[in-house]
Amino acid sequence: MQVFTSVLVLLIVFTVFIITDIRGYKQRKIDSMLGLAQVLAANNVSTLQFMDNEAAHQILSELHDVAPDILHAAIIDSTGRTFAKYVKDTAVGMAIPKDLPNNGYVLEYGRLYVTSLIVADKKVLGKVMLEVELSELEKIKREKFELAGILLVIAIASSFLIALLIQPYISKRLLMLVNTMKDAGSTGDYSKPLVDEGKDEISTLVRVYNSLMVQVKESQRRKEEFIGIASHELKTPLTTIKGYIDLIDSMEDQQPKKQFVQKALENVQKLERLIKDLLDVSKMQSGQLELNVQEFDMGTLLEESIAGFRMVSGTHKITWNGDHSPGMIRADRQRIEQVMVNLLSNAIKYSPGEKEVLVNSSSDGEEMLIMVQDHGPGIPAEELPNIFDRFYRTKDTSIHISGFGLGLYICKDIIDRHHGKIWVESTKEGSAFYFSLPMKYDKSSLTNVKPV
Amino acid sequence: MIRKCFFLLLMLLCSGWGAAVAQSGDRQADLKAVFIYNFTRYIDWSMDAEGSDFVIGVIGPSPVSIALNEIALTNAVGKRRIVIQTYNKPEEIQYCNILFIPRTTTFPLQSILDKAGRGVLTVSEETGLAKKGTAFNFVMINDKIKFETNLKAIDAAGLKAGSQLLKLAILVD
Repeated sequence: MQVFTSVLVLLIVFTVFIITDIRGYKQRKIDSMLGLAQVLAANNVSTLQFMDNEAAHQILSELHDVAPDILHAAIIDSTGRTFAKYVKDTAVGMAIPKDLPNNGYVLEYGRLYVTSLIVADKKVLGKVMLEVELSELEKIKREKFELAGILLVIAIASSFLIALLIQPYISKRLLMLVNTMKDAGSTGDYSKPLVDEGKDEISTLVRVYNSLMVQVKESQRRKEEFIGIASHELKTPLTTIKGYIDLIDSMEDQQPKKQFVQKALENVQKLERLIKDLLDVSKMQSGQLELNVQEFDMGTLLEESIAGFRMVSGTHKITWNGDHSPGMIRADRQRIEQVMVNLLSNAIKYSPGEKEVLVNSSSDGEEMLIMVQDHGPGIPAEELPNIFDRFYRTKDTSIHISGFGLGLYICKDIIDRHHGKIWVESTKEGSAFYFSLPMKYDKSSLTNVKPV
Repeated sequence: MIRKCFFLLLMLLCSGWGAAVAQSGDRQADLKAVFIYNFTRYIDWSMDAEGSDFVIGVIGPSPVSIALNEIALTNAVGKRRIVIQTYNKPEEIQYCNILFIPRTTTFPLQSILDKAGRGVLTVSEETGLAKKGTAFNFVMINDKIKFETNLKAIDAAGLKAGSQLLKLAILVD
C-alpha cells in the first residue's frame, strides 16, 4: 500500500515535471527563434533596401554556427520572391505550412516555423522565415523519460527497502499488543501494563490501551467489591429468616401450613446456596479463599454426597461404579464435597426425568479420578470451552435451569487450587465431568494452600 | 508617362517592395537615386537644423537628378521636404546635405570637395573616387550596383553612418 502510494505520487510528479519541462523547452525555443527572426529582420532592412542579396545571404549563412537546429532560413521580399536563403547541409526540401502567419510561429510536422516581417519606416519590405528542427525535443523527452524511469525504479526499491526495514519493528510491537489484549481477554487479568519505548502512533496506542486497562481493572475491582459486600449483607438477614422458618417448621404439624413452611424453607435454602456461591466467587477473586487441608477418606465423602442426593431426589437413580474406596487424600474436605455436590446437582438438573446418573471413582496410587456422568442432552461443542467461565450459562433456552452460572467456575477454581484437573466430555447422549486430584502433595508446591 | 509609371514601380520595388531588378541603362540611374534616398536613412543628420528643407545637390545634368526629383515628390527625410538642386559649376554649390557628383562632370574633384565642405555627404559614381575623397561611390560589380565608402570622408564631413549601411559597403581608405 505504502509502495503503491509512493509510486503513484512519483508518477504524477514525474508526468507533471516532464510535461512542464517539454512545454518550457518548446516555449524557450519559440521565444529564442522569434527573437532570432526579429534580429534577422532588423539586419536585413538595409540588404533589401540596397538589394544586396549577397550580404543577406552572408547574414543567413552565419546561422550555421549560431543556430544549428535551423534547417532552412529564407528572406522573402514583398513580391513573394526569395531574396536570400540558407539551407543546412543535411536538410531536405522545406515544407511551408499553409497556416503560417506573416509574423508569428506554427508548430507542424514536428518542426517549428517562425516568421518575422521586415519593416522600415512603417513599410513592409519582406519577411524572414525560419524552419527549426525540434530534434532536441525528442532527445530531451527521451532523456527525461529515462531519468524518470531510473528515479522511479530507485524510489520503488528504496520504499520497498524502507517498508521491509520498518515492517518487523511495527509488526513486532503490534503483535505484542495483540497478544497482551488476547491474554487479558482470556485470563481476565487486566493489570499487566505494556511497555513501548517508541514515540510514534503505536506507542500512543499502547498508552491509550494501558490507561483503558487501568479503568477496566478499576471497574472490575469495584464490581467484585460490590458482589462481596452485597452477598455478605444478603446472607445475614437470610440466616435469621432461615432460623425462624426452621423453628416454625419444627413447631407446625398441620397441613397445609406445614407444606407452605417447607416450600418457604426450600426456597430459602436455594437462596442461601446462591449467596454462598457468590461469596465463594468473591473470595476467590480477592484471594481470600483459604483451603482447610486435612487428610480424609475419599470413599466416605463420595458415599455421603451420593446418599444426600438419593434422599432429596427420589426420581433419579444414582449408580456408583468403580473403586468404592479409592483411598485417603490430603485436601479441603468441605470444598471437595462442594465440587461433588455441584457436579451431582448439575447432572440431576440437566438430565430431566428418571435418567440414570453414573458416578465412577478410581485411583492409581498417584492420582485419584472421579467421574460424574448424566444422560442429558449434552453440551454443544462450541460451548465446551466456556462452561468453566464465571457467570457462563448455556445458550440452550430449552433447558430452564435457575442459577448464576457459578457452579462449574467454583469447581474449577477449587480443583485448580488442589493442583488437580477438571474437564468434560460431552456427546448428545450426555456429558461426563471428570476431576482428578494428586494423592501425594509436595508441600512446597501448595503455596496458596494454607494447612490447618 | 510610361517611364514615370515604370519608375514608380521601380521606386516601390527598391524602397520597400523591392526585388532583384535588371540593372542597366536608365534603370541604373533610377536605382542610384533610390540608393541615395536610402542613404539618408542611415546617416545621422541631427547636427542639421530641423524643419529646414533637405537639399540634395547634383553637379550638372544627370538622369539621376530626374529620378531624385521623382522621389522628392512622394518622400521626405524624416519630416523634412526633399529639394533637388542642380549646380552647373562648383562655384554654384550652396548649402546642401547630399552632393551627387555624376560620372559626366568635368570639374576637378578637389574643387568640388573644397566647395562642399563640412556637413555635406558626397556621392560619386566613378571608379576610384571614394579613394580620392567622396564619402560614397557607386561601382558595378557582377552587373550589380554596389557602393564604396570612405569612412574618413564621412568623418571629415562631421557625419556618422549606421552600421547597417556600412556592412553593405565596400570600405576604402
